[in-house]
Amino acid sequence: MKRWWAQPLVRLVVAVGLPLAVPAIITLLIWALPGDPASRICPGDCTGVDGLAERWNLDQGPIHFYTTWISDAFRGEFGNSWQVVTGTPIRELLLPALPRTVILIVLAMVPLFLASALAGLGWVPRKLDPLFQAIGLVPAMVPALVVYALVFLAFGAAVDADAQAIRIKMLAGALILGIADGALSGAITGTRSLFDNERKQQYVLVAQLRGEGVLSNMLPNVAGALVGQLRARMLHLLSGAVIVEALLRIDGLGDFLWRATIQQDFGLVLATATAFALVSSVILACQALVEIVVAWHQRRAPVVSPGVA
Amino acid sequence: MGRSRHLLVAAGLAAAVMSTGAALTYYEGALPTTLNPLYAAKMVDYRAQELVFDRLWYHSPINNELESRLVEEWKMAEAGKAIKLTVKSGVKWHDGKPLTADDICFTVNAILDGGTPSPIAEGYRDILAGCSVDGRNVAMVRFTRVVHNPRERLGFAVLPEHSFDGNTAISPDLEFSARPLGTGPMKGSRGTRGVTFHAYPNGHHAAQVGQMQLQESGDPLLAIKALINNSVQGIIEVAPNFRADVSASDELALKSYDLRSWWFVAINTKKTPLDDRRVRQALNFMLDRTELREKSIGVKPGERNSPCEFISGPFVPSSPYYNRAVPAVEHSDISQAEALLKEAGMDQVGGRWNFRGQPVSFRMGMEKSLDNEAPDILSYISNQFEAAGIGSQVYKIPPDKWTTEAITGHLTDYDLLVGKWSFGQVEDVNELFYTRSRGKGTRNIFNYGNSDVDRLLAQYDAAKTDTAARDAYHKLHRKLAEDLPYLFLWKLDTKSAWRTEVKGNTIAPYFYFTQFDSWKYDG
Repeated sequence: MKRWWAQPLVRLVVAVGLPLAVPAIITLLIWALPGDPASRICPGDCTGVDGLAERWNLDQGPIHFYTTWISDAFRGEFGNSWQVVTGTPIRELLLPALPRTVILIVLAMVPLFLASALAGLGWVPRKLDPLFQAIGLVPAMVPALVVYALVFLAFGAAVDADAQAIRIKMLAGALILGIADGALSGAITGTRSLFDNERKQQYVLVAQLRGEGVLSNMLPNVAGALVGQLRARMLHLLSGAVIVEALLRIDGLGDFLWRATIQQDFGLVLATATAFALVSSVILACQALVEIVVAWHQRRAPVVSPGVA
Repeated sequence: MGRSRHLLVAAGLAAAVMSTGAALTYYEGALPTTLNPLYAAKMVDYRAQELVFDRLWYHSPINNELESRLVEEWKMAEAGKAIKLTVKSGVKWHDGKPLTADDICFTVNAILDGGTPSPIAEGYRDILAGCSVDGRNVAMVRFTRVVHNPRERLGFAVLPEHSFDGNTAISPDLEFSARPLGTGPMKGSRGTRGVTFHAYPNGHHAAQVGQMQLQESGDPLLAIKALINNSVQGIIEVAPNFRADVSASDELALKSYDLRSWWFVAINTKKTPLDDRRVRQALNFMLDRTELREKSIGVKPGERNSPCEFISGPFVPSSPYYNRAVPAVEHSDISQAEALLKEAGMDQVGGRWNFRGQPVSFRMGMEKSLDNEAPDILSYISNQFEAAGIGSQVYKIPPDKWTTEAITGHLTDYDLLVGKWSFGQVEDVNELFYTRSRGKGTRNIFNYGNSDVDRLLAQYDAAKTDTAARDAYHKLHRKLAEDLPYLFLWKLDTKSAWRTEVKGNTIAPYFYFTQFDSWKYDG
């Protein structure tokens, strides 16, 4: 209790460091791969890549590349795509992609929120658990492929351009993300066990005897753990978004990350991975803030002297 | 005032679109890598760029004559080492600025600039020496030597100087690669899921299709369904096993597309026992090309107008360089193969050929994407060798690896590589067979070297007339058919499918959309 600030502080430091660490790791990977970085990432098969290496800051080693990339990134300048959409400014690709991925994740959180709330209140029967677990065994790629085939049959060549087709793909993608790969069953069992354990605490029993609300007593104490679970689920959804976006051909961060990795478009990999890291940092910072608020709330609570209770 | 001007512009645009017909969507196997002609790497790149740019000279798909849409008149100068050309007036870039002689010279200078790391530019550097402007519309393009086909050598797409601020070192990742400015019939823009083309009325072009969309086809079955349902109007390459479905429909037309490509099995002549010409000749007699063609491509015996013609050398049969006096091997001749192998010191034990006491087995590779055009061809070739007593292990090589390692001569751990070459305007095979040294033989797959072959290639290089060039390549054809650094298989066309609402769609060899102005779509 004395060092209540330690954990949130660590989280905030990590939140700040993550967007800096991710491009650093990718930079190291670029240099760790066999061959000269410039010739490996050149669109088509370039000849004489010295000029390109200089243009792409690949000519003076990884530290120069990293520091230049970071300083450019702070100015919102990520250069042009080298392979995926050769010549297109990466910023132009990311600006519409980021909100698409965020919307997908937020929509996917809806079934998870509902299921968690119902499970926390004890309104989800335990005998349905095997059903949720069975649904959770379905890998996201299976329903994603089925949905894409159906949308394609309905919209044909307009499947990637028609606004309605895009809306359907987004909604279906969010539903798949929220249910498949154990997301829903994890949310139900995780939240339920958290509340079940807390209900066994003595203060909850005392509160019940006093006729006070159980939930209002428990919430401040479980809030930190709940937010922790929420962060884990969001990270799970973020990684799932890569598969779902790639298969449903949604132009989000996950799809660009996938295509850029496959095609070794490291400029785009750096930018999308950093964008993912930023989203993750925001979630981490939110968790830290909730922990601070909870700790502050607990410290404001009256100190009960021994024997009073 | 501003509002009425916007309305007028919008009305003008709408009228322009309506007057040039409806939107048309077609499928390619993949999206173009780039719209910058200096960095075209795949056939889809060349096809898309043909809509956006004009090449200085091109072969007319109607009469095969060399023509130019950009040059008013031309004449040879400086004792045949330069060509003086006058640019046509009225030709505009897609931003409305006029094409001038400066643009021609800028393109030549960009090609010659070492800071332009383009393999296409490198191909021209051997032949182009420079360019100078003489007035607004006259350019003098210089060659490094007198060549027998100067205009054919100027088949590059012309680039706008003002798009690059005059900087001739052109990088592949410039925005120009996604949103180029050309003088072609369509203005193109690459998106994340396709390329959009809009008609651009010009002095030398009048496209009748207002808008066109290039998309990636994905699953071939779904692509055919989309075509039948009129969700798309064309597919550039229809896989052999779906052609019957297309033929069966009254609403679709199957059209031949000459890729100007020929197929081969490259032999690693540096490895034993393939360094012995007799072994290579024996392999040539082991292959039953008629059976291969029938099983893999579905060509029936005696079929007329077959998309697949056997070849005996490194040219397509319609080429003036093809030596018709050299016959192609169409069927296997196992007894002749056995005689050659015995002569080369091999003996047969239990049906399996042995060399120096070891069973002979080859490591065979093939560029993976060839499977789309000739399904399972690698397995069929392997089976024929197995049946004749030669073992093999087969591997499919990803296209990137093929480009970066096979063509550059780095896959020397393989014994045999199945591939194909395609040639656009100039059928220059020198780089495939020159001994690799001092910048020559840049596409010599197994670093083959033969002094007689080098001499014939040099003769072609030095040819000052069409006849001299033809003579050199005819001799080369015969020499290669004897020495066999490659087993020459066939020239293989592919088939496109278009809905019958698309009319006047003349398909040019290799570049496809050269005659796009005649295309119409009554959708």
